[in-house]
Amino acid sequence: MSGPIVRIEGLSKRFGAVTAVDNVDLDVAPGELFALLGGSGCGKTTLLRLLAGFETPDAGRIFIDGQDMTGVPPHLRPVNMMFQSYALFPHMNVAENVGYGLRRDGVAKPEIARRVGEALDLVRLADLGQRRPAQLSGGQRQRVALARALVKRPKLLLLDEPLAALDRKLREGTRFELVRLQAELGLTFVMVTHDQGEAMSMASRLAVMDTGRIVQVGSPHEVYGRPATRFVADFIGLANIFERDGSWVVLRPEKIVLSTERPALAHTTAGRIVDIAYEGDRSLLRVATDGAVLIVSALPDPSHQRGQSVWLGWEPGAEHAVIP
Amino acid sequence: MSRVFISFLLAFAVVPAFGQGSVNVYNWSDYIAEDQLKAFTNDTGVKVNYTTYDSNEILDAKLRTGRSGYDVVVPTASPFFVRQLAAGLYLPLDRSKLRNWNNLDPEILAALARYDAGNAHGIPWMWGTTGIGYNVAEIRKRLPDAPVDSLRMIFDPAVVSKFKDCGVMLLDSATDVLPAALKYLGLDPDSKKTEDLAKAAGVVKAVRPFIRKFHSSEYINALAGGNICLAFGYSGDIFQARDRAAKAKDKRDIAYAIPREGSLLWIDVAAIPKDAPNPANALRFLDFLLEPKVAAASSELTGYANGNKAAFALLPKDISGNPLIYPPAAVRAKFYTITAGTSDQTRERTRLWTTVKTGR
Amino acid sequence: MRAIITLPFLWLGVFFLLPFALVLVIALGTNAPDSVPPVALGFSLKSFTLLFTDDLYLAAWLTSLRIAATSTLVALLLGYPMAYAIARAAPERRPLLLMLVVLPFWTSFLIRVYAWMGLLDENGLLNQFLRWSGLATDPGTILGTEWAVHLGIVYAYLPFMVLPLYAVLEKLDAGLLEAAADLGARPIQAFLTITLPLSLPGIVAGCLLVFIPAVGEFVIPDLLGGTETLMIGKVLWDEFFTNADWPLASAVAICLLVLLVGPIALFQRQQARSLERHL
Repeated sequence: MSGPIVRIEGLSKRFGAVTAVDNVDLDVAPGELFALLGGSGCGKTTLLRLLAGFETPDAGRIFIDGQDMTGVPPHLRPVNMMFQSYALFPHMNVAENVGYGLRRDGVAKPEIARRVGEALDLVRLADLGQRRPAQLSGGQRQRVALARALVKRPKLLLLDEPLAALDRKLREGTRFELVRLQAELGLTFVMVTHDQGEAMSMASRLAVMDTGRIVQVGSPHEVYGRPATRFVADFIGLANIFERDGSWVVLRPEKIVLSTERPALAHTTAGRIVDIAYEGDRSLLRVATDGAVLIVSALPDPSHQRGQSVWLGWEPGAEHAVIP
Repeated sequence: MSRVFISFLLAFAVVPAFGQGSVNVYNWSDYIAEDQLKAFTNDTGVKVNYTTYDSNEILDAKLRTGRSGYDVVVPTASPFFVRQLAAGLYLPLDRSKLRNWNNLDPEILAALARYDAGNAHGIPWMWGTTGIGYNVAEIRKRLPDAPVDSLRMIFDPAVVSKFKDCGVMLLDSATDVLPAALKYLGLDPDSKKTEDLAKAAGVVKAVRPFIRKFHSSEYINALAGGNICLAFGYSGDIFQARDRAAKAKDKRDIAYAIPREGSLLWIDVAAIPKDAPNPANALRFLDFLLEPKVAAASSELTGYANGNKAAFALLPKDISGNPLIYPPAAVRAKFYTITAGTSDQTRERTRLWTTVKTGR
Repeated sequence: MRAIITLPFLWLGVFFLLPFALVLVIALGTNAPDSVPPVALGFSLKSFTLLFTDDLYLAAWLTSLRIAATSTLVALLLGYPMAYAIARAAPERRPLLLMLVVLPFWTSFLIRVYAWMGLLDENGLLNQFLRWSGLATDPGTILGTEWAVHLGIVYAYLPFMVLPLYAVLEKLDAGLLEAAADLGARPIQAFLTITLPLSLPGIVAGCLLVFIPAVGEFVIPDLLGGTETLMIGKVLWDEFFTNADWPLASAVAICLLVLLVGPIALFQRQQARSLERHL
């Protein structure tokens, strides 16, 4: 049984008065697609840069594949990174960009050509080897950056907001592309993202970060279904959060049943539709009840009207209590 | 036509204000007593537009460009005035308008006549010699019986080599150094013969390893500041160095000697450019310069000898009695001057000089 | 609107092309020492042939090119680390550092060269210090040697090297160096494969800005150099003032210009190429 590919112990990093990473412990297993999720300034990018070696920790240690990486400079780490800005070398063509790391390792020329060709095939850019980065589209650049980071078959691939610079349509397709590549190559990916949808749809496990700390680690299912804190519940997906008997209760919109008759469920409440947002596959409705306005996800129904009186109901199992 | 075209367009030309009642004088800086200029305006009603330069080359370029706008200029006789004369840049003087002409020193006039036949174009203003400036203490320390008043000081390798460590500078001027070298060899200093000039060049080449630099003005500061101990230069410049060194914090005794073999006489000549806008006023100004009191006051200011014999009596004793400023007859008898030569000769001489200087 | 477009061309025409044409016309004439101005117009290549056949002039060209080239190299080796350090300094400190680089321009060029004379003289500050400190009892004199000329040129033109280098290095994306390190490049390799090639436009611009004026430099070799340092600027001076040979002096000026247009054209092409590359 192999140990974790990444082990982080008590890691802290301060920038002046700001603690960007605060006493973080984390293990990532080989073959995982692990996402670090959080809002801007939560410390996720700093954590990634600590893994790559661009920042030196103030406290704690990092092990990669069992080796203590604390104090090891970036060029000696068995890690490659795909930068948010891609950081493609503007004075080299695509093939030279992709082959850069292999040339640094002194790989023989024919071998470089072969592996660069393979990597470009993998990202479907085989024909563009001679182009300069400036001559490529945003999506093509993203794939060059990916090929360049993949070509050395690192034990660990770090991805800093890999999809953020793409337009929305391209982003959707590329998600699956990245997941496919990760599965095909059997590499470990650690990805930073601020987009919870991206993290949920791609990651095998994810860590939610807030103000330098990891708040919850788990599979997307666990984190969505059983958020550990009110912050996580609020950050991931839509949630109705209300206080009951001194504790916080999370109720996901899709767990609420909406009908015109009072449903035969444990919890029921009457309300009036305040707002309807039609999203094609579903509608999101805001329903004003006695105590609060609840968000409800329902199949689109043209008969729903603003101001209409409706009934809401849910099973006790749909509720989940969280700490504040 | 083409000349007019070029003259017109060359940005060089400075055209001072000129009018009926003025005269445009372009002179060396600190070369005329200023109260005398006021006196001239008071006497004649002619306004003086007085501008100054500090190199013959600037004056030369302006005159050659044409339409300089000047009425009176004061170039050095050799090689500048004589070449400008050959180019026809000067008006002949109307002697009838120069009432004070007879105040001039016949000896200096005769010397100047070698450049300007019959003294037809210029009047001698200030004059001096070319000789040896030295730091008394440094020379004595290295060679107590140094032949300071001989050209051997700069041309005899056995002598110059003694001073290499404390620094020797020669004028960067083919028309001053090569004639002196010819004189040192006992040849005609005015010789234009290729073989003579080659010998003269040989003399300079032989001492070249001991010369720190050839430069026509740097030696003033260098002597005064103690950075060199021996220079071959113009009397006036070396006097300047002497005065500066005497005033400096760590006083240095700088002395000047006229070579006993003979000295090249330099004369600054006041003349009227051919295209002077106010030639009549220019003549009045020249006549004014010929007045003994004007020449005497300017000599007092500059410390140079003037070409005005009548002014001699008006000079203070420390100038008229100074044998380095007004040398005795025996020394004056060995003064020499050189003629201009053709432009091809000029080119050959410049070239020869460049090879000597750069040691090729 | 039209006036705004015309103005630069008018400026170029009046202050560059017209004087250049005049100098060219004079260069193609022959020396006429007895006329005003001392030029006989015509079409003669005599001055140009003389300039490139006479061994003394050839030597002057070669010396000028050699001194300009070595000075440029030294300025590059000194200026690059300076520009690099400024570009990597904290942003709030950069204006101060840049100001220190251009500070010498606040005093006259001539005065600064004279100051060097005072430093390098036989009894200059440098030798005084060497004697006082006992490091050397009889130090030689740097003034009047080719060393002093190099020193003067490097000193005078160093800001022209530093500023364009700073401009490119400051714009250099630090992420590219991280990417290189991430891909296994040691810092020196990252410098050689990323920083250096990407700062090439700055290197070329800086080198041209130093090399071009250094070739024609007159004041520095005249004041700091010795007599044996024969540079082409001195030849021009001699021809114009000592020999009053305006055509030859003009020919020197034309050749200097043509000699320098070559590198500039090369630079422009390189600039255009890199522009196209980065777009």
